[in-house]
Amino acid sequence: MSQYLSMETLNWMLFEVFRLGDLLSAPRFQDHDEPSLRLILDSVKKFADSELYPVFRAMDADPARMVDGQVIVHPAVKIMLERAGELGLVGSTLDYDDGGMQLPVTLYQALNFIADAANNNMTGYTGLTSGAAGLLCSFGSQELKDIYLAKMLSNEWGGTMALTEPQAGSSLSDVVTDAIPRDDGSYSVHGQKIWISGGDHQFAENFIHFTLVRVPGGGPGTKGISLMLIPKFRPENGRLVPNDVSTVGDFQKMGQRGYTTTHLVFGEKDDCRGWLVGTLHRCLEHMFYMMNGARIHVGRHGAAIATAAYYASRQFALERPQGRRLQAGGLKDTSEGQTLIINHPDVRRMLLLQKAIAEGSLALILQASLYADREKTSKGEEAARYHDLLELLTPMAKTYPAEAGRRAVDQGLQVLGGAGFCDEYVLQQYYRDVRIMAIYEGTTGIQSLDLLGRKVFMNKGASLKFLLAEIEATCAAAAEVDELKPYVEQLREQLALNQKVLGHLMPMAAQGEFEKMLSDATLYMEFFSNLVVAWQWLKLGLVASGGGSDFHRAKVHTMKFFFQYELSKNSSLASTLMQPQRLTIVGPVEVLD
Amino acid sequence: MNIIACVRQTPDTETVIKINGAANGIELDGVKLVLGPYDEYAMEAAAQIKEKNGGEVTAITVGGEKAAETLRHCLAVGADKAVHVQDTGADDALAIATALANQIKKLPHDLIFVSNKGTDSDRGAVGPMLGELLGLPYVGLVTEIEIDGGAVTVSRDVEGGSKEKFKVTLPAVICAQKGVRGEPRYASLPAIMKAKKKPIETVAAEGDLASLRKVELEKLEYPPARPPGRMVPGESAADKAKELVRLLRSEAKVI
Repeated sequence: MSQYLSMETLNWMLFEVFRLGDLLSAPRFQDHDEPSLRLILDSVKKFADSELYPVFRAMDADPARMVDGQVIVHPAVKIMLERAGELGLVGSTLDYDDGGMQLPVTLYQALNFIADAANNNMTGYTGLTSGAAGLLCSFGSQELKDIYLAKMLSNEWGGTMALTEPQAGSSLSDVVTDAIPRDDGSYSVHGQKIWISGGDHQFAENFIHFTLVRVPGGGPGTKGISLMLIPKFRPENGRLVPNDVSTVGDFQKMGQRGYTTTHLVFGEKDDCRGWLVGTLHRCLEHMFYMMNGARIHVGRHGAAIATAAYYASRQFALERPQGRRLQAGGLKDTSEGQTLIINHPDVRRMLLLQKAIAEGSLALILQASLYADREKTSKGEEAARYHDLLELLTPMAKTYPAEAGRRAVDQGLQVLGGAGFCDEYVLQQYYRDVRIMAIYEGTTGIQSLDLLGRKVFMNKGASLKFLLAEIEATCAAAAEVDELKPYVEQLREQLALNQKVLGHLMPMAAQGEFEKMLSDATLYMEFFSNLVVAWQWLKLGLVASGGGSDFHRAKVHTMKFFFQYELSKNSSLASTLMQPQRLTIVGPVEVLD
Repeated sequence: MNIIACVRQTPDTETVIKINGAANGIELDGVKLVLGPYDEYAMEAAAQIKEKNGGEVTAITVGGEKAAETLRHCLAVGADKAVHVQDTGADDALAIATALANQIKKLPHDLIFVSNKGTDSDRGAVGPMLGELLGLPYVGLVTEIEIDGGAVTVSRDVEGGSKEKFKVTLPAVICAQKGVRGEPRYASLPAIMKAKKKPIETVAAEGDLASLRKVELEKLEYPPARPPGRMVPGESAADKAKELVRLLRSEAKVI
């Protein structure tokens, strides 16, 4: 079997860099210890090796599709759902009282990272059910929990989030699916939802759709939206009866073809019932509880696909001889055999870029997850600080692995040359699969608006100050290591540049020129993400500098590569961000003719 | 029924193995140690037989401090209790078999499982030695096993696709071949948490093991590096095939 990730790197990050063991002293996690966590990591790796990776390509070749009105997915999905349920992966971070195992979120993400890297077509099914179960636990009534939770945690019933409608994608204020109160406390629902991932297939007995709707009296815009639990089959008198939820299509996609993406219609026969979750007319924030988690999951997918692609292209480069190395004087000795392509500097550059992005992305995901755990195990101001840090990192944790991960996979394909373009090799599948990550759960544009328009300045900039203090703490520690000093200096320069960029943009907001301030938000996302990932790499380099093995030296080397080849691009991005002209909002639309 | 599963901790097969400076062992720093892959089959057979026939499974291992992690794994996949026989001496089959036998004699035992071999030592010697030391029947490389009253019926593959079938009176030592009871189960999260509450007894190895260690590992060396791939030249597929045959015959000398 080909390598698709490094457990050594994952374990090192978890236990040496992010010191997961320290987290276990919190009362919430007192039933876990490090050997147990390592055991479950090994267990999931075996599961991924045995059940997920072997069907990764087959699921692409035999995609999810509608057959005679039924969504059909690859038979391996059935085994995966059963095993994931047995392993206890669904809802494992939930409280014991809700049927969870109080597993740290950081570990949960690591477990799913393994599964994602093995087969990114699979993990959405269980990930969404986990998220939906969490939503139900947080905001659902006890009665709803009693009916639905156990079946979701055992993976017998799937969970989804249903937001998008044909006329309302990124703009949720335009949602029109309606829910009319009935006498029995439920609601009668009419409408349709599109792009519903994992929304239907032949291997789950039931699907529970957490759906955004409008209930009369809520007013326009996002503030009037309510959240409904809408099952495909509703329990009635001890049996399941159809709830008038129809699957009318399965979207055929360029990637993640084994993962179903459905079009649902509610209430065609006027018999679809939903049950309110949370507060009437004030439920969008409830849904964002699940959405924010899902955003980090999407970033994790990006990191995992970039990781798997890296190992696939690295393997090729270690086996493929082509050309000869340049000798002194620029000559090649054609009497010698061909060298492996991994020895060519440009191939080495592409591989290092892949490694730097993939591992930097993983570190970012784990960092965000650690803040989620710290928030849960702290109180008062400390908990609020971790909450703010998580809020600030979330758009970057979603976007950087998706966008940079796509670039990494692209370079991985390039390493294979023409072979990378052929379906005989797996790189083209990773290339297609990773593309959606910049679109799922809020596009890069939406995430960038969230980062620059809201997160950076929220709480009067307090969240940003918290983050900058975290970065500075790493800089201060790294400055004690001679080898790292130049990189500390470079990162501090970039922090100063960030303040300069924000100093340029903030007055625009003060003058009411919000569109102008936000017009290049996506560039700011790239700029700030580079800075944050450089911080992660400095953290990795700092821990690695204390070890003397090849493994540790490779981490420090990759850190240097990231600073030299990636962080250095920030100067150019800052220059564009501070240009007085805004070419994207000035001028008539005819400039695009 | 009292079932004992003898298990061994070995380097993870995904670990990059590095030979130490003296070339008489491997560098253990940074090497991940796991329940041996073949031992997982022995443990799975023990767990399934207990689940079907009742009784108790005791996992037992001989090794240093880290070996206890392996027992934790066993407790998460069906063992009820575990015994860690502490011994840090050189890896020697007879010493290990003796340490196991001296401990197993003190435990109630009907059925004793050992694995085919360690993925590190590749000896397959401990099982038969254990049978001899305990004075019990031993059957190697068992692929099927069923409890039959006070005996077990076992099958093993032999050359030519045939099977040998034995009825063995208990107590007995059975060497579980890969797949004897299907693939080993995954240690689930709930089972791992329950395993923390199961007992692991730690005892010192008994017997004059030092005098038994008569095999000394002289030298380890790496296999030759894998040569790079090679493109077979030729204008057409037929030319390439012809050249390939020539290379296989004259250079590789495999045909």
